[in-house]
Amino acid sequence: MIGERTRIALLLAPALAVILVLFGGGLYAALLQSLGYFPAIGMTEPGLDAYRAVLTSPDFLNSLALTVYVAGASTAISTVLAVLLALALRRAPGRISTALFQLPVTVPHLVAAVGVALVVTQTGLGARIAAALGLIGEPADFPALLYDRYSAGIILTYVWKETPFIALIVLAALRGVASELEEVAQTLGANAWQRFWYVIFPAIYPAVVAASLVVFAFTFGAFEIPFLLGQDYPTMLPVTAYREYRSIDLSARPAAMAINVILALLTALFAAAYLRLSRELRRG
Amino acid sequence: MDKRNRSAGIALALAAVLVTTPLLPLALWSFAGEWRFPDLLPASWSLRGWEALLAPGSRFTEAVLNSLVIAAAVTAAAVVIGLPAGMALGTHDFRLKGVVIFIILLPILVPPLASTMGIHLTFIRLGLADTMFGVFLVHLVPTVPYTAIILTSVFAERTGELEEAARTLGAGPWQAFWHVTLPQVAPGVAVAGLFAFLISWSQYILTVLIGGGTVITLPMLLFSAASGTDPVITSTLAVVFALPAVVALLLALRYLNPGNERGFLGVGKVS
Amino acid sequence: MSTRLELRDISHRYRTGERAVSHLTLTAGPGELVALLGPSGCGKTTVLKIIAGLLRPTAGAVLADGNDMTGVPPERRRVAMVFQKPLLFPHLSVAANVGFGLRMRGMGRRETGRRVEQALRQVRMEGFADRRPEELSGGQQQRVALARALVTEPRLLLLDEPFSALDANLREEMRELTKHLHATGDFTTLLVTHDQGEAVSLAERIALLLDGRLQMYDTPEAFYNRPVNRRVAEFFGATNFLEGRISDGAAETPLGRLKLAAPVPPGSATLTIRPEAVRLEAGENSFPARILSAAYLGTQVLYTLEAGSVRLRAAVPPHVKLGVGQRVSARLPAESLWAFSE
Repeated sequence: MIGERTRIALLLAPALAVILVLFGGGLYAALLQSLGYFPAIGMTEPGLDAYRAVLTSPDFLNSLALTVYVAGASTAISTVLAVLLALALRRAPGRISTALFQLPVTVPHLVAAVGVALVVTQTGLGARIAAALGLIGEPADFPALLYDRYSAGIILTYVWKETPFIALIVLAALRGVASELEEVAQTLGANAWQRFWYVIFPAIYPAVVAASLVVFAFTFGAFEIPFLLGQDYPTMLPVTAYREYRSIDLSARPAAMAINVILALLTALFAAAYLRLSRELRRG
Repeated sequence: MDKRNRSAGIALALAAVLVTTPLLPLALWSFAGEWRFPDLLPASWSLRGWEALLAPGSRFTEAVLNSLVIAAAVTAAAVVIGLPAGMALGTHDFRLKGVVIFIILLPILVPPLASTMGIHLTFIRLGLADTMFGVFLVHLVPTVPYTAIILTSVFAERTGELEEAARTLGAGPWQAFWHVTLPQVAPGVAVAGLFAFLISWSQYILTVLIGGGTVITLPMLLFSAASGTDPVITSTLAVVFALPAVVALLLALRYLNPGNERGFLGVGKVS
Repeated sequence: MSTRLELRDISHRYRTGERAVSHLTLTAGPGELVALLGPSGCGKTTVLKIIAGLLRPTAGAVLADGNDMTGVPPERRRVAMVFQKPLLFPHLSVAANVGFGLRMRGMGRRETGRRVEQALRQVRMEGFADRRPEELSGGQQQRVALARALVTEPRLLLLDEPFSALDANLREEMRELTKHLHATGDFTTLLVTHDQGEAVSLAERIALLLDGRLQMYDTPEAFYNRPVNRRVAEFFGATNFLEGRISDGAAETPLGRLKLAAPVPPGSATLTIRPEAVRLEAGENSFPARILSAAYLGTQVLYTLEAGSVRLRAAVPPHVKLGVGQRVSARLPAESLWAFSE
């Protein structure tokens, strides 16, 4: 008989090995390279030059601002829509509707991006409907929503993908709200808005925040959609890091890695916040 | 009550329209012949997109096969690795449990892009870059956390009583696991596997970084088509690329408990 | 082949530091039906799990026919257990559930099938072999669980409150079935219950566990008539207690000097008598009392009597009609008086 502690350690070992070696090791290597320790191209003097350069460069700051804006806007819009959707759905839980609205969660982001692009491009479905309604004459009359400075295409794609995701989590939390409590509130004279604000919202609040955090962290660090639908300058942080990484000039690598490390640190903070919240969620 | 149901119905209909809006042009374009602005529907239909994908010289078949092989291998490995971890986290309390959960959650929230760029050099040195095996390895980073976390919640709902009953009936620890635990957690394992498959199947940037253009997968074809100008080819590829997601959803609805959508998707997200 | 079960100074402490069982020593003879009785949370289930091998005791040993079983894993103890919940394997049919233990021991399909059929007949569940557990009622599920345990031909059958989740009449039926199976089978049975009525009606001997400690281990009759301390007496419904000093086969009490039939060592003691044994008549050990209240219970009337500072309860047949406030003579027959010193 092996002891319980040994047993737990053995059970956890494979998963922890994968994460510590392939993920932790990768981040460690990124850290070393960001510090300028890069023996392969003769850089063996570690230092903070890359960070100094990155943090003072307007390119990085523009990129960071854009990233915060896109992630923030996508998360905020998705969250509000998701709560509304969940409230509407909880009384109409058909199998088909449930299936349909889970679809965006499973469809790959790339497919979503291509689909949204075909709707919002100036010759896309949206423009065609606008033309059919006589709102526009030429494709050019339709607002440019792709590769634009407001990142409308990126945000729309994220909203399409993430709203159902948040809604599912909120829906699960809504099941915990006893409908009796709502009825009690109603007999005490609470109107629909008051019932939402004083009875429902406090119960689903941790779930809403936890789900939003996941979406924020994800949109903050995801690459594909901004790479495909984003403007040329500034780009979101992951795209900036990738471009630096792919640069022919190998000395740009420490900068790419510095961006990676900053990205990892920020998202790790979100992860810590998420974990705290989900613990409260379990307790609540 | 009536008013409530009606507003719920309207919201639902609206949600259905919004969900299908971006998928509709994909389906239409993939079979479109001529479709000029401002026509609402294609003027003619054709199989040009599908023929192009299957034409000699197209790398479509190779890409689909690569995607399938990698996703299948990743699914198997992620389940086998995630199952014991989920068992440990779901059925035991121990010091450092919070830390372990944090470590396992990290790759879900911290973009694996960062760590993969970091590990690329090491992979080159080890000869893992530009190989299917290398791609398989980096795909484990975003998948293992999901299988582990999903299976943790599956095991957390188990009390161990059925296993105790089995033990008193003469089953050894392994027999109890094989004959009682495993059949009981099978639906959860299936969900975890579906997740791992979809995540690996959808993976673009990790494959590009480590596969280096040698390992061609479906999203890479889609990406280059999407950067081009032919919506027919792009849409056809997108339809194929979206297929497993649709199949997975149908499977989940068919075989998993209704009302259990939290178990299916509530825990995670697919990129 | 039934087993002689011996628990030797068993103690168990949970990791939280909470003590579940303290120094429990107990022997059940081969073929005996013993009830482990106690309120919920007194450590009964812990004891069963220790006997089954699902828990390892912090101290002490479990012996079967004199052999130390403490380190033996549950699957090799030939101990079958029926739990509070049926715990049927939901993914298996009724027949596969019952055959589970035999298959685990490597028995072939044909022989397993034959024995399963027989076991199902024993619990009157033949014809349900191909059903799924969720199609059965709670009582049917528990009968299948019983068959599943018995088909493995255990030397020792452990029953952990197996009837407590059932309706009253079903519970009665299950008790009869259990009694019958125990009588016809060849195994020792240990029944855990919090219901003293169940323990009394089923068991040959009862072990009363309070706060993880064995209070008394004796026949059901002894628990009613010869409790070893006040808590045991109270657990079995006793309400009449008198403080006294014993000397020369009698006790000096606030009600005067009362004679005792049972030999009791001299010194201070507590006297008790069951309400049914109190007589409303004059004679030996009698004293004047006043009726304080009366409660009609159908087959008898329960009077509360007051004599000086002492209050006693007397249960008498309903044809004796007495009014509240009436003065009567009450008698505590010497052969029904029992004394214990704490």
